[in-house]
Amino acid sequence: MEWVEVTAESIEDAKALALDRLGVDDAEAEFEVLEEPKAGLFGRTRGEARVRARIKPSSVRVKADRRDRRGKPATERQAKPRNDRGDRRSRGDRPQRQSRPEREPREPGEDRAPREDLPPVDPTTVSAAATTFLEGLVKSAGLTGSVSAKIDGEHIDIDVLGDDLGFLVGTKGATLLAVQDLTRVVSQRRLGDHDTRLRVDVAGYREKRREALTRFALKVAGDVKTSGQARALEPMNSSDRKIVHDALTEVEGISTRSEGSDPFRRVVVALASVSEDSDSEIVADSE
Amino acid sequence: MMSDAQATTMAPTASAVLTHIVKSIVDTPDAVKVEAIVDEGKIILEVRVADGDLGRVIGRRGRTAQSIRAVVRAAATRDNAEVDVDFLDD
Repeated sequence: MEWVEVTAESIEDAKALALDRLGVDDAEAEFEVLEEPKAGLFGRTRGEARVRARIKPSSVRVKADRRDRRGKPATERQAKPRNDRGDRRSRGDRPQRQSRPEREPREPGEDRAPREDLPPVDPTTVSAAATTFLEGLVKSAGLTGSVSAKIDGEHIDIDVLGDDLGFLVGTKGATLLAVQDLTRVVSQRRLGDHDTRLRVDVAGYREKRREALTRFALKVAGDVKTSGQARALEPMNSSDRKIVHDALTEVEGISTRSEGSDPFRRVVVALASVSEDSDSEIVADSE
Repeated sequence: MMSDAQATTMAPTASAVLTHIVKSIVDTPDAVKVEAIVDEGKIILEVRVADGDLGRVIGRRGRTAQSIRAVVRAAATRDNAEVDVDFLDD
């Protein structure tokens, strides 16, 4: 999975910027600090913070028996000790796959195998699990719809289309994010997949949102150029912020950054030259 | 006082959606039970899962539980009802 590398005035800013680039929350990302800004006089910093980040491969939750079903050999590392919480009946009647090659007792936590050791999961398998889940979701709500998946390398895009699906989108796409989160749980996480990037769209919402936000961002950029005045946009979630950053990266003379912390984190659109040095100086001087 | 059966029929879409989601997440789908109770005029959907499956349903920092609630509440709008979801294990 790709890393993004960003520089900013502080480690914190660099991390925040990286999260926006990735379009995820900090719980979903991992960081490496490449360079720390040096401390200068009077608490000012010189030099830049350089950080690289990527989307954290989802937590290892391997279902060894499922892997068996898919015909992939379960290595000893994947075998998670499942009987450590006492034998209650629900566990006792599981299919006896326990007859796998003997595993040594492991320390708790040790079973979190390095992901490199796990065989990659076929994106087609992940996509199929996600599709089945979403079809069932639409059906369980008493509706009819069609679910289609597009696989492009590690990217899986799933579209759910149909009438009356607005309730699965919700205000500003909040319910859609929850649907996507659950889809990831039942596909990527259940299958132990860490490589695919899965996105769900319902009723073409994301595309419409992207178009509208891009138009809006370009208009704001125009205003900022005319007035010279930076503008803070309303708080947005990380994927919306990413759309704004993406829309304006190519716009000359404009720079964007995010400020504040979720759920109030917002994009600030400013003139590129201004945001480089002077406004942070102003902040430092006013203290 | 409303019976549980009445409560379930008050939020059939939410109940069905909740059942589907939870069964898709757990290891033991057959053990999943959804019951509706009414508490102070509010419908509460109680989900019971097999021992050991609760962690999966709740997720890291309760994130999965939060997502389930969001989708189930959205589904409840189709029942013209307001629901809450409680997660329990056997």
